[in-house]
Amino acid sequence: MSGGNGNGSVRVGVFICHCGGNIADVVDVEAAAQAAARMPGVAFSSTHMFCCSDPGQAMIVQAIRDHGLNRVVVAACSPSLHEATFRRAAAHAGLNPFLCLHANIREQVSWVVRDRAQATRKAVRLIRAAVARSAHLAPLERRRLPIRPSVLVIGGGVAGLTAARDLASRGIEVTLIESSPFLGGRLAQLYRIYPTGQFARDVLNRLIREVAGHPKVKIYTNAQLWSSEGFIGDFRTTVRLIPRGVTEEPADLQAVLDACPEEAVDQFNLGLAKRKAIYRPYDGCYPPLPAIDWRTCTRCGACVEAAGGRGIQLDQEPEQIEIRSGAIVLAVGLDTYPLRHGEYGYGKFPEVITLAQLNRLLDPTGPTGGRVEIRGRPVRRVGFLHCVGSLQRKGVHPPMRDGRINEYCSRVCCTTTMHTAAELKSRFPELQVYDFHEHIRTYGRKHENYYDRVCEQGVVFIRFDPARPPRVESDPKGEWPLVVRTVDRLTSGEELEVPLDLLVLATGLVARDMKRLIDLYRCSVGPDRFLLEVHPKLRPVELASSGLFLAGSVQGPMDIAEATAAAAAAASKAAALVCAGSIELDPYVARVDETRCSGCRICLQACPFGAIARREETRQAVVNEALCMGCGTCAALCPCNAIQQCGFDDRQIGAELEALLAPEPELAAVSSQEAFDGKAQGR
Amino acid sequence: MAKIQAHYDGAVIGGGIAGMQAALDLAGQGFRVLLVEREPSIGGIMVGLNKVFPTLDCSSCICTPRMAEAAHHERIDLLTYTEVEEVRRTDGHFTLRLLKKPRYVVEEDCIGCGKCEQACDWFVPHEFDYGLGARKAIYIPHGNAIPQLPVLDPEHCMFDGACARVCPKNCIDFLQQPERLEVKAGSVIIATGLKLTPMEAKKEYGGGRYANVISPLLMERMQSSNGPTGHVMRPSDGRIPRSVAYVQCAGSRDRTIGVPYCSRVCCMYALKQAILIRQHHPGTEVTLYYMDIRAFGKGYEQFFRRALAEGVRVVKAKVGRITEEPDGDLVLRVELIDEGGRVAEIRHDLVVLSQGLIPAWRPVGIVPARLDEDGFFEVPEVTTRPANSSVDGIFVAGVATGPKDIPDSIVEAGAAAMEAAMYLDRISRVEAEEAAMSEVSND
Ligand SMILES: Cc1cc2nc3c(=O)[nH]c(=O)nc-3n(C[C@H](O)[C@H](O)[C@H](O)COP(=O)(O)OP(=O)(O)OC[C@H]3O[C@@H](n4cnc5c(N)ncnc54)[C@H](O)[C@@H]3O)c2cc1C
Repeated sequence: MSGGNGNGSVRVGVFICHCGGNIADVVDVEAAAQAAARMPGVAFSSTHMFCCSDPGQAMIVQAIRDHGLNRVVVAACSPSLHEATFRRAAAHAGLNPFLCLHANIREQVSWVVRDRAQATRKAVRLIRAAVARSAHLAPLERRRLPIRPSVLVIGGGVAGLTAARDLASRGIEVTLIESSPFLGGRLAQLYRIYPTGQFARDVLNRLIREVAGHPKVKIYTNAQLWSSEGFIGDFRTTVRLIPRGVTEEPADLQAVLDACPEEAVDQFNLGLAKRKAIYRPYDGCYPPLPAIDWRTCTRCGACVEAAGGRGIQLDQEPEQIEIRSGAIVLAVGLDTYPLRHGEYGYGKFPEVITLAQLNRLLDPTGPTGGRVEIRGRPVRRVGFLHCVGSLQRKGVHPPMRDGRINEYCSRVCCTTTMHTAAELKSRFPELQVYDFHEHIRTYGRKHENYYDRVCEQGVVFIRFDPARPPRVESDPKGEWPLVVRTVDRLTSGEELEVPLDLLVLATGLVARDMKRLIDLYRCSVGPDRFLLEVHPKLRPVELASSGLFLAGSVQGPMDIAEATAAAAAAASKAAALVCAGSIELDPYVARVDETRCSGCRICLQACPFGAIARREETRQAVVNEALCMGCGTCAALCPCNAIQQCGFDDRQIGAELEALLAPEPELAAVSSQEAFDGKAQGR
Repeated sequence: MAKIQAHYDGAVIGGGIAGMQAALDLAGQGFRVLLVEREPSIGGIMVGLNKVFPTLDCSSCICTPRMAEAAHHERIDLLTYTEVEEVRRTDGHFTLRLLKKPRYVVEEDCIGCGKCEQACDWFVPHEFDYGLGARKAIYIPHGNAIPQLPVLDPEHCMFDGACARVCPKNCIDFLQQPERLEVKAGSVIIATGLKLTPMEAKKEYGGGRYANVISPLLMERMQSSNGPTGHVMRPSDGRIPRSVAYVQCAGSRDRTIGVPYCSRVCCMYALKQAILIRQHHPGTEVTLYYMDIRAFGKGYEQFFRRALAEGVRVVKAKVGRITEEPDGDLVLRVELIDEGGRVAEIRHDLVVLSQGLIPAWRPVGIVPARLDEDGFFEVPEVTTRPANSSVDGIFVAGVATGPKDIPDSIVEAGAAAMEAAMYLDRISRVEAEEAAMSEVSND
């Protein structure tokens, strides 16, 4: 069959995918192929079990060659999955890849329409529209954009540091920005880490040494994301540098700290201690210089005086710098679940603390010098409560501030709990330890060892009912500071009352407040509020906006090893991008028809990418193709219809719409023999 | 098929999802890569899976394009049906001794037309379908195989020449010999993946003896639309089961069989299969007997809750023993933990043993990198270098370093590629310096 639409020799091939059963279970693909065969311009149509597989692609290539096809329509899954695959196949057969179109009959049909006849009709309609549009397609060429050989890493925790280290060791210029005055993020606050039992500080210090000493890395602390322009290959990020206040190590730091009259809650020690307005979170931190917390400082000058007038400046102004980079790695990490006052007794009883706080207590350099005590009282009976702020249920747990509950598992708390309980038991064997849980999820390599160990150490396990979570109260007999009341499902729902003098809440992990970041880079966010990768298996460390990569727990809860692996994977993608030196972009740019442009400048003002300029001589609009992102805003706004967008011009879209809205063509019943022939042709 | 070079920047051993991704990520950074797979097709476990948790999109749709990409990448060469006999360090690089097994088909000439397969009269239970489907004695491994080349199975071939007679390219070669190759590589990435604990590992469950006690991988094939049956059925009589039981940890967290660790994916694949059984056969009940439900990954707990909402039952219990009834049904003797350890006998008509994951390859004495006591590759600095083996220059990814799901395997593969790239940079700098030094000293 040849094309009868005035376009002379249009020969469309239509390829319909079964997608295993994803499509074919609902859509009668053979009937659709028969219907397609009768559409104007269609010279060949066929189906395949998996068009995207090698044999499927080979079939397409073969058909293009055998039947002299010059347009291809693939009816399959969403183009976001496999448009590139089929375009490559078309190119392989010598066809311009932009003469290949995708009709989405999976996400838009088989996954959402249940009735077979209706689904088949809808699929045919979408195919018809694509066929109609394909007749008007013209070959297009991709643009090449240069890529700056540098990467901006946002976040100075373990993931950001790892990504920076890896990129720099491949010879790539890296700028790392950290919003707080010190590097290290959460890792700095941990004591020992599983599954190696290393001291967190040692791991961190080594990493910082590798990064901070590297000639390719530039680090800015106290650096806040301000604004961002540009795009993949040339991001221009403006960062506001908050002055540190301290420019030189004071000769007698202790005297300076003592002199400061202002105290604040020590966030680094998670509220377990106080610190001064001029402070250093711990000895050996990086950068080693103390910093001033401007929210607490009153600029009284006492520290300046104590330092002998040297090295402290209270009048520095914030500074703005622009960082240009070819790619950006987002590694801003996560937060712990914000407990409400009184939640499981937290805030009400000093004997209720979080797992993170316990880590600070266990640290010999921490606020108690490594003693586990509450208000100076040693501890004899400790309980761990799992899933605080995780695995929440509607009706049982009150929602968070945004109205949502945290249904997800925070992944790291079970093993952290087992690991910490084992540490406690081996340091204080006489301690009695109770573990309140719903499930124990020590899933990772060597994680189960901790679970086994605490079982041997005599930790008592109590399995609560998630619909009736444990309650924390003061001991009515007054013997112990706390009692936990719960049912134990391991003893057929017996009601238990467990007196304790310390309850450790294994608080879950939540996404940080990343509003600014999300706005600046138009990040996708999942229902769990973490940043959302393009696809968990196809592109697990990439964001939908090109050139942006995800490293570590900004994407969801992860432990150190997992965050490190994710950061290295992100570095690998970013390195591949910037090492290539240039990137090919889709050719969907706007084009100005000079015979029509009146020079009204509406498009100039509307273009969000600053890609349109005015030609001085003619006063007409001209598009900078390197900057044009193909959003189509100008084409829609132009009052003279002088702008068309390649790949989406009026004729193409018009034809598509007409075919889409045309009256229902009948779906003639097809004999199975015909259908079989259609399929066999393709092999 | 590309000609194999004498020297590569990276050799990736294992062509599952982790190996393919590592090869792609290394080649993506400009390095030349050899991908070695011991089966006749790349794709690993994933290419045989039906749908994948937690998104339930089809496994093939994600895996086959990766296979095609790896096979067609200009900087990746592929060697399938090839065993690695030795990896040793030789001044500054690694030397791999490889054994290319005979397909009895001349690869360069074969056009993959499949005529030989059609002509062959000998049916053999198909490994890809865990014995439920059939293949011929000469066969293309499966519809999505890459390369699409047949392989002749000499154990079952009757050498009647039927295939050779119909081959249009005359490329059946009954006398083909194994071929030994030696290849040098700057770095090595090992991604040799998993196999499942044997069905017979726990005798009291009757795996391997009772027809209706099956492997979860067979369940994947039965549920696949391109599988041998197209739907779930009892192997004993082909009937659609009405009551399916999953025995969790039937090969994990169990010291008695030497697998004390958690296999990490079994809770999720069991829930996934259970949801799909319920969707296809709403009248069929599915019960998981579990110790803990470990739905820890992104979106996994939500997936667990979805399973509950779709009517999948989960029971915290230990399964002590399974016995077979004359009609093929199975009686599970279980200790119901949430009922104070009450023991009950519960009848089901199909049982899936959630087998654990163990390493597919334990190359002691073959590869210098050390294995850990769990049999997987040791990762000495897992917190900071999660893809580094005990030998500088040998990297590891995927299930080769312990059970994990596909997203985690893919991410780790990216990390392994990054480490290999950094290592290659480092050795080339050292080489350049040494060359400069020797020039200076020669002057
Ligand atoms: C029943 C079941 C269902 C599952 N469902 C899911 C799911 O829904 N979602 C999910 O995320 N995960 C799932 N998984 C887990 C998933 O299969 C693994 O995460 C994934 O396959 C690991 O990939 P890999 O590349 O590390 O290993 P593999 O897939 O095992 O690949 C390893 C490859 O290496 C080859 N090889 C081995 N030894 C050698 C050697 N010496 N030389 C050369 N090549 C060698 C093998 O032949 C194989 O091709 C499931 C697992 C099972 C068992």
